[in-house]
Amino acid sequence: MTKRTAVTSVGLERNNEPSVLILTSLASGDKHGYALTKDIESFAGVTLGPGTLYGAIARLEERGLIAPTASEDRRQPYRITASGQAALTTALQQMRRLADEGDVRLRLRLAKTGRTRNAIIIRTAQ
Amino acid sequence: MRGTNRFERMLRWYPPSWRSNYGEGLVALLEDTYGTGKIPLGARFSIVRAGSIERARETGLMDRAASSLERQRTGSLLVLCGWAGFMLAGTLFAKFTDNWGASSSNADRGLVKVIYGTVQWAGAAGLLLVLVAALMVLPSLNRLARSGAWTSVRRPVLRAVGAGAVILASTAGIALWAHHLSYRDRNGSLVSYGVAVSCWSIAVGVAVAIGTSAAVSITRRLDLSIRKVRSLSSFAMALTFFMAVILAAMVAWWRIEALHAPAFMRNGIGNGFLVTSSSFPPALVVASFIMLLGLAAAITGTVRVVQARRDVGVPLLERPIN
Repeated sequence: MTKRTAVTSVGLERNNEPSVLILTSLASGDKHGYALTKDIESFAGVTLGPGTLYGAIARLEERGLIAPTASEDRRQPYRITASGQAALTTALQQMRRLADEGDVRLRLRLAKTGRTRNAIIIRTAQ
Repeated sequence: MRGTNRFERMLRWYPPSWRSNYGEGLVALLEDTYGTGKIPLGARFSIVRAGSIERARETGLMDRAASSLERQRTGSLLVLCGWAGFMLAGTLFAKFTDNWGASSSNADRGLVKVIYGTVQWAGAAGLLLVLVAALMVLPSLNRLARSGAWTSVRRPVLRAVGAGAVILASTAGIALWAHHLSYRDRNGSLVSYGVAVSCWSIAVGVAVAIGTSAAVSITRRLDLSIRKVRSLSSFAMALTFFMAVILAAMVAWWRIEALHAPAFMRNGIGNGFLVTSSSFPPALVVASFIMLLGLAAAITGTVRVVQARRDVGVPLLERPIN
């Protein structure tokens, strides 16, 4: 229950959702739609559809997690706000906790499987 | 320029307010990505899907960012739309079972009567809830009319009044005609009467849709107190329950009578038009399908009301993005 509150408290419920990808991309600097798509493609291997990208942008701006910056042409760049940075930090901490937990459990399982396999090999050799 | 125009045309899927905020940015993205090349089907689908979602959000049907009260109100309106479908399907069921009392069936008559009565009582209870809700919003409607905001709802209201007048006149005409016909003529022998009744049924369906749309337009503009919205949304939840009861009882009645009174089911309205079946009479198939759609809408509305009540006092940032 506490963990769930920690995630929803920043409004980013699913870690693989476009909002997290956009915030991560904007963490390295202001970007417009096309630059965001290309950047996300390069670091996450995910191609966001134009509708999905702008839907997420609208939602993030509505919540004050990103904000538009001045532009000279039709391309509208966005920047991450202080709330956006806090939201991303919390989301990343959550992802890290999950990754660490998964890593520990997987290592335990591999160690157990390894021990069993060794025992079988020893028994067979005897 | 030709390319820009085709990208701008794609924006029509989005509501005007969204277009004015993000339209240019999205067009620029499409230009940068696809230039003069072909827009892939996946990208088109992404735009259509996202645009439809934005439209749904604008009507308040999908927006978790909207206030709790607004979401309770739209959830309740969705239940009302579902109820409109039930009214249509209920009329069809009532017409189908017109002469059911006189039919011969070897089923446990007492049980079937209780089930049939359940449909009627749940229908009456639902109708009563809707009428009480309408009475509750009357003072607010009066205020809306006096405030001059009437012009914003004039068109849907006039359309609903017009549709109501057409239905009244056509119902009187059909009833007058039916009065001079025999039982056989009224039940399939006279093709022209059958066609007229079919057209009238479609007109009733359209009129119910127009009336519901007017009710939704008006209710969205009404200034309702927190207490009133809560009461109305509680009514909506109760209405969903009655709708589920009606559908369950109707299907139970259908199942029993299909087994025990096949002759009655075979002679019901709609049979002989495209198919003849005692197990799946077309009228009951259509009625249950409409009811299923209505119940799905009502359940969606109720879930929205429950979610909105749970979110009362929860800041926007603490709600998940959807």
